Amino acid sequence: MEFAVDRAVQRRIEEVREIGEKEFRPAGLEADRRGAPIPVGHPFFDRCLERGDGRTRWPGPGGRKGESASSLSVVGRLLLAEELAYWDRGVINAMPGPGLPEDNVLSMGTEEQKERFLGPFLKPDRPRWACFAMTEPGAGSDAAAIRTQARRDGDSWVLNGAKCFIGAASRADWILVQATVDPEKGRSGQRSFFVEQGTPGLGGFKIEKKMGLKAYESTSFTLENVRVAADCLLGGEERYESKAGFKTAMKTFNAGRPAIAANAVGMARAALDESIRFARDHDLVRRDRVRDRIEAIARKIRKARFVCLRAGWLADQREANIAEASMSKALAAQIAQEATSLGLELVGTVGGAGSHLIEKLYRDVKAMDIVEGTGQIQRMIIARKLVGLPR
Amino acid sequence: MFDLDPGDDLKLIVETARRLAASELAPKLRDSEAARAIDASTAAAWDEIGLAGLEVPERLGGAELGCLARVLVNEELAAADAGAALALDPYGPALTTLVEVGGVDAAEQLVFSLEPEAQRACFVLAEDASLELDGDRLSLELAWAPVSHVGALVVLRGDHALLIREGIELTDVRGSGLRAAGAAQLRVARAPVAGVWSDAEGAQRARARARLYYASLLLGVMRASCDFAIDYSQQREAFGRPIGHHQALAFLLTDMRMALDAARLVVHEAAWRVERHLPCAAEAAGAWAECIEVSRSLGPNGVQVLGGHGFMADYPVEKHMREARALGLLCGGFDSAIEEAGQLLTASTSPLALGMEGAL
Repeated sequence: MEFAVDRAVQRRIEEVREIGEKEFRPAGLEADRRGAPIPVGHPFFDRCLERGDGRTRWPGPGGRKGESASSLSVVGRLLLAEELAYWDRGVINAMPGPGLPEDNVLSMGTEEQKERFLGPFLKPDRPRWACFAMTEPGAGSDAAAIRTQARRDGDSWVLNGAKCFIGAASRADWILVQATVDPEKGRSGQRSFFVEQGTPGLGGFKIEKKMGLKAYESTSFTLENVRVAADCLLGGEERYESKAGFKTAMKTFNAGRPAIAANAVGMARAALDESIRFARDHDLVRRDRVRDRIEAIARKIRKARFVCLRAGWLADQREANIAEASMSKALAAQIAQEATSLGLELVGTVGGAGSHLIEKLYRDVKAMDIVEGTGQIQRMIIARKLVGLPR
Repeated sequence: MFDLDPGDDLKLIVETARRLAASELAPKLRDSEAARAIDASTAAAWDEIGLAGLEVPERLGGAELGCLARVLVNEELAAADAGAALALDPYGPALTTLVEVGGVDAAEQLVFSLEPEAQRACFVLAEDASLELDGDRLSLELAWAPVSHVGALVVLRGDHALLIREGIELTDVRGSGLRAAGAAQLRVARAPVAGVWSDAEGAQRARARARLYYASLLLGVMRASCDFAIDYSQQREAFGRPIGHHQALAFLLTDMRMALDAARLVVHEAAWRVERHLPCAAEAAGAWAECIEVSRSLGPNGVQVLGGHGFMADYPVEKHMREARALGLLCGGFDSAIEEAGQLLTASTSPLALGMEGAL
C-alpha cells in the first residue's frame, strides 16, 4: 500500500501551483466580478498557448506520445485536477483545447477524424476550443432521453434539436453533438456527430447567466436542418451497432466523474485554506469551535480525496470502477459544498458581503454535485451494483 | 505513487484472520457474549495461526509487523466479533505504546509479565480515567474497560508511558457491548509504577497507533452491520419487491457503504504514515474521529434497515449498533481526537497541500 505522490506528478503539481497563483485565480476572480466568461481575445489565453496548454494529447499522424497529461496515470491526472481546481475550477474549463470530447475522439474516432479534428490542436496557431454537446433542455441526467434527431439523407446526416449548458459552444471550432437516429431505441439509437462552427443551421447561441463558475461559457444553441457529411459520424457507421452509440457518451461520463470529484476536493481545500487564513488573522484559532470546524472540514476533504484516488487507481489497474467513480463524485461534491458553507460561517458577515473567495467557492462548487450526473444519479448507479436497484 | 494493493504477504495474513473469524468467531457470536469470554477452542485456534505476536518485536519472539497489518487483521476479526477480537489480542495498544515511548526494552517488561496466558494487558489513555500520580505511586479509576483478567496496565499520559503490574483491581460491570472481552471497572489505589518512559514524538505515535487500533475494530463492526443490512435488503420483501429496491433504502445503504469505504481509506492512509514514520498524529486522530462519526449513524441505520427484526437479538445488527457505539468511547473518544487533530491542523497554513513530504 502506498499513499504517496510520485516525483513526476509532484513536479507537475508544483508547476500548476505557480501558474495557478499567478494566472488562474486572478483570472477566475476577474471573470466572477465581471459576471461574464473570459472573452476569446483575452491575453490569458495567449499565455496559455505560450506555455503549451490547449493542445491535443493525440500524438499526430504516426507520431509518438510526448510528455503530456496522458502520459500520467489516472491517479496522477486526478491529483492535477485537484490542484488546478484549487486555484480556479471555472478557469480550468475555460482553457482552450479539445476538451471534453477529446477522449471520445481518441478512443472512437477514425484516423481521418483524428487528423481533421484534433490535428489543428497539435500546435494551435491561436486559442482553439472544441466541445461535447449532450445535455438538452428536456434531458439532463437521463442521457438516454435526448431528442436531438439525426436523419440520414443520401451521403449526409441532417440534425435537428436543441442543446443547453454546453461549455465553450459558441467559441468551439467544432462541436461533437450527441443525437438519436431513433428515439424509440433509447440508448442504442444514439450517435455522435462532428458539427463545425459556421455550418448552416447551427445557431441561436445564448451564453447563460450562472450562479458561479463564470470564467467559462455555458451555452445553449439550436440545430435546424444542420447538414453534415457522412464522415462526420464519430467512428463511422460500423461502430454503431448494438449499444455502442450510447456507450460513447457514457464513456465520457465514466472518465469524468472522478475528475469532477477531484475538482471538488481542490475547491474544498481552497475553502479550508481560506478558513484557516481567516481564523489565524483574526485570532480565532484559540476557540474550540473554530478549531473543531476546521478539523471537520479537513477530515472530510481527506476522505473525499482518497475515495477519488481509489476510483482512479482502479482505472489504472484496468478494473471496473463504476460504483467507485460514482461514490467519489457523490461524496466529494457534497463534502466540498459543506466545506465552503462551513467556511462561510467562519468568516461570517465578511462572506455575506459577497467579495470573499470562500463566497465565490460556495457558488462555484454547487455545480460539482450536478455536472456529469447529479449526486442522486450517482447514488442510483451505486445502488444498482450494491443492492440491484432496478433501472 | 498511490497503490491500494496491500501486497501478497498482507493479503495472506488477512485471509488467515478472515478464515479464523468465519470458523471460530462468527458462529459463537452470542455464546461468547453471554459467557463474557471466548472459549478454549477459539483461543487454541488463535494460537495456532500465530497472529498473537503480530506487532511484538522480533527480539521478543514476535512477527514485528507494522500498523497496516494490525488494522487489516483487526477489521477482519471485528467484522465477526469485536469483543472476541479484543479478547484474542493479549497486548493491544499497551504493547505499541511501550514500543513507541520506551523501546523494545520497555515492551519486554510487558510481554513477559503476562502470566498466566488468560491475562491481558490493558491500555488506558489518561484522558479517559481519573488519575493521580504521587511520586512512584499511581491511583486510577476507569468506569469501564472491555477486559476480564488484567496482568498489566499501560497508561499513556502526555509524553509519558507508565507500566503498572500490581494492585490492579477489577469489578465486573454489565458492559454495553464487547462483552466477549469481558467488562470491568478498573481501580488502582496507590500502586507502584513498575516503569516510566518519556518521549514526546513516541507518545504522539503511540496515541496514533492506539487510535488506529480501535478505529480498525470499528471498521470491522461497521462492515458487518452494513453487509448484513445489504444482504437483508435483498431477501426481505415489502410492497411486492425487495426492500433494497425502494429508493429510500437503496440510497440509505449506498450512503452507509460510501461512508464506510471512505473511513477505511483514511484509516489505511494514517496507518501507512505510521509505518513510514511520517507525521501521523493529525491523520490518525482524524481517522479515529471519522470512524466514530460514521458509526453514530451507521450502527443505528443497520438496525433501521431490518425494522422490528433489527431491534431483536435474533439478528446481529443490534449488537453491532451497541458495540460500534461502545468502541467509539474508548481511547479518548471523539473529543480528544478532534482536539489533537484541530490543534495540529490549525498550526499549518495549508495542511492538505499535495505532496508535502511526498505524501498526500
